[in-house]
Amino acid sequence: MKRLLSVLLVLALLSAAVPALAETTLEKIARTGTLTIGTRRASPPFGFVNKNNEWVGFSIDLVEQAIKPVVERKLGKPVKVEKKESTPATRIPLLATGAVDLIAGTMTDTRPRRESVDFSLTFFVTGAQFLVKKGSPIRGIQDIAGKRIAAQQGSTNARIIRERVPGAQLREFPDQPAAFQALTQGQVDAYTNDGIQLAGLKAKAPTPADWVIVGDFYSYEPYGMALRKNDSDFRQVVNVGLMEAIESGKYAELYEKWFGARGEVPYPLTPENQRFLQMQVVPK
Amino acid sequence: MTYQFQWSVLWSGQSGSWLLQGVLTTLGISALAWVLAAALGILSGALRTVPWRSLRAAASFYVEFFRNVPLLVWMFFWYFGVPPLLPRPAQEWLFNHGAEFWAGTFALGVYHGARMSEVIRSGIQSIPRTQFEASVAMGLTTFQAYRLVIVPIALRLIVPPATNESLNLLKNSSVALTISVAELTFQTRQIETYTAKAIEALTAGTLIYLVLCVSIASVMGWVERRVRIPGLIARGG
Repeated sequence: MKRLLSVLLVLALLSAAVPALAETTLEKIARTGTLTIGTRRASPPFGFVNKNNEWVGFSIDLVEQAIKPVVERKLGKPVKVEKKESTPATRIPLLATGAVDLIAGTMTDTRPRRESVDFSLTFFVTGAQFLVKKGSPIRGIQDIAGKRIAAQQGSTNARIIRERVPGAQLREFPDQPAAFQALTQGQVDAYTNDGIQLAGLKAKAPTPADWVIVGDFYSYEPYGMALRKNDSDFRQVVNVGLMEAIESGKYAELYEKWFGARGEVPYPLTPENQRFLQMQVVPK
Repeated sequence: MTYQFQWSVLWSGQSGSWLLQGVLTTLGISALAWVLAAALGILSGALRTVPWRSLRAAASFYVEFFRNVPLLVWMFFWYFGVPPLLPRPAQEWLFNHGAEFWAGTFALGVYHGARMSEVIRSGIQSIPRTQFEASVAMGLTTFQAYRLVIVPIALRLIVPPATNESLNLLKNSSVALTISVAELTFQTRQIETYTAKAIEALTAGTLIYLVLCVSIASVMGWVERRVRIPGLIARGG
């Protein structure tokens, strides 16, 4: 037992010693020549593996086409972007331990999360809804008491359901495919997630016409890119990248590519959200 | 590492009750799965040593099939694969009464039963053949010889590897979170969701698993000393 305690003590000391060696994210990128991002493999169209087995998406494009050029300009040398899978449960530890430098997926900016990580500007706005089989009696959050509802583990939606409708039988799955499988087979009556994710899931389903997205947004989900806390130089670079993209029309171009009428998941940008994005761009 | 530790998230708010619920679910699913695994393990372990070829073959098939497919696959099999075989009202009833818990129990129990079987078989095969022959010569049938002589001795010999297997079973119960069973690991993630303090939550989970496993190991150590057969198993330490 004594030996065990001393091993634990050494581990604790090691983890305490790490901050002394810390370098800023920009220094790390300059040293390694790599910007490592944490993103998703199964959240179309933000980050997913497409039919040609390529790992692509809107969030990935924003990093590669809007943020990477600004990082390169700042460092004066080319960098490459490396992608890693990050789930809601792993993304903050991945960031904190330095395994990734930026979370560019589908992460909602929240106040508790801001105590652990910093966020970029909001790059996408959505809200939670329900995906149900065509003909289901569920029409929104008012109908789910006593029903079996799937949600994504570690998401803000599960938390809201638990607080607002304690009578709902919540089943939380670690990823979308398992939750969708449960919905298909009837283990659950509805699957709740951010509206845009449900739209992505529906578009990718074998028969999209069998599924309906119902309900008003019962939550506000502003997506931001997360980065390590107290690294304002890197945050500035990320934000400048996003601002320049919104200003130059690059953002609109990428939005059209993924969410336009012919995009992966058609989801028109509302005038309200467009205005919100533009208001975040501060003057040059 | 610019991470600020905030250990109070583990006892403030609902974290404590979530962890407790998680521990209870983990213990519940593990205990039921363990009973299933022990029953299947003793049965198939014994069958692998009997003098009848077809029974040996059936037991070998069970062991090789179930231990060589990853546990995660078995979780999905019992949760997604089995219910569609039932009539619709039975499915509906099951889905409202913790289908994921039972699927997880079966997945764990059947998988670990196959592994336990090998532990028991090695126990049986370590008993000199003459024990079995003597039992039969005394007039016992093969079934009686196994039930009254061979299996009881084997079980007393295999306490250390069986402890190992039981601890593995307990820890493997965390795989059930993939089919939405709210066990301990699931609850640590839940704390992470509410507080965004993942490292604290994971540490709490790790320590709880450690305490559970060390407690089980020490109980089994006591059992081992109680049931050891002088002359057949050397006294350790």
